[in-house]
Amino acid sequence: MSQRGVWQLQKLIVSYCNWGGSSRGVRAFMESELPSFKEANPQLEVVTELNRGQHPYLKGLYKNKNERVVSVMNMTPEEVQLCATRLRNSLGRKVVKLKTRHVTKHPSVQGTWTTSTQI
Amino acid sequence: MANRRCIQTLTHQLYKSKLYTNPSSLHHLRTLSQIPNLPLKPFQSHRYTLSNPDFNYPLTNFTTHRYYSSDRHNSSEEDDSEFDENEEEDDEMETSSAGKKEYSPEEKESEAAAIGYKVIGQLERSDRVFKDYEPVFAVIQSGSHQCKVSNGDCIYTEKLKFCEVNDKIIINKVLMLGSKTQTMIGRPVLPEAAVHAVVEEHALDAKVIIFKKKRRKNYRRTKGHRQELTKLRITDIQGIEKPEMPTPTKKVEKAAVAA
Repeated sequence: MSQRGVWQLQKLIVSYCNWGGSSRGVRAFMESELPSFKEANPQLEVVTELNRGQHPYLKGLYKNKNERVVSVMNMTPEEVQLCATRLRNSLGRKVVKLKTRHVTKHPSVQGTWTTSTQI
Repeated sequence: MANRRCIQTLTHQLYKSKLYTNPSSLHHLRTLSQIPNLPLKPFQSHRYTLSNPDFNYPLTNFTTHRYYSSDRHNSSEEDDSEFDENEEEDDEMETSSAGKKEYSPEEKESEAAAIGYKVIGQLERSDRVFKDYEPVFAVIQSGSHQCKVSNGDCIYTEKLKFCEVNDKIIINKVLMLGSKTQTMIGRPVLPEAAVHAVVEEHALDAKVIIFKKKRRKNYRRTKGHRQELTKLRITDIQGIEKPEMPTPTKKVEKAAVAA
């Protein structure tokens, strides 16, 4: 995601285990698709961490100091790539229900309508 | 014999269509040949190597007769170019993941763009696209949703395919333009109006839980749903005379830094 042209995701940490079976997809993702993902996003700092005995996860650090952790346990490499792409595409904002679908600072151009407005 | 003939015509169709370049279908056909023969089939000597298909000679001696439902899907999907997209811009790359539709030719994408009222511009590279607020509004339609937008505000629409983040978008379907002094009403669309926007994010909405219950009938269902949304930032409205600002104040905008 990029707000006004500035990418919001700063760092992506891929944490995996080299022994566990739940990390199989992540290990395959790291071999096959991670290099192309890195090249497609040069502004992103991708780090791989070995975390033995734990399930794998993707951690995204955003510019608004927000951390989003997505578990990729038992996922295929394509699904892991989808997760990584989703993290890259999103803002770091909190996932809450949207109040409005239209965010504006200047709601009226020709003046807000009142009952006494004449055309 | 009928089984072999069916597979023969099926593979003929596949090869004649564009799918022969598709590695997934070739792999699929390779798996067909790797299935061990039934003891009833006598032909085992002449085996065609699928890695180098010879299109001039008819393919014979397929000793397997397994039919996959994905065959029909693959061969018939290319013909159906119907898109159920109502959303304009947006969406990530044309990743054909999990057996979804593949929009490989770019013409199809532009067709879908025309249906979805958008044109994909170029990615932003240090363009000064984000201007100050101008007192001009436009009524835009994206899919089935209409919205009144102005310069500089953000809109959440349904997920737009074929767009990536940081893409410039032009929305064609403009129903009304207005400024302080002038209003233009389209019938139903204004022909020479365009609204420029930039794709800011593709994200999932918060989860809504769909809970169904019928009382005293032992029926209860829980389903989670996250809608995929696209956030667009409107940058420019064209097609109407904009009033000149009396004292243009220079704002220091964040530099559009795209790696």
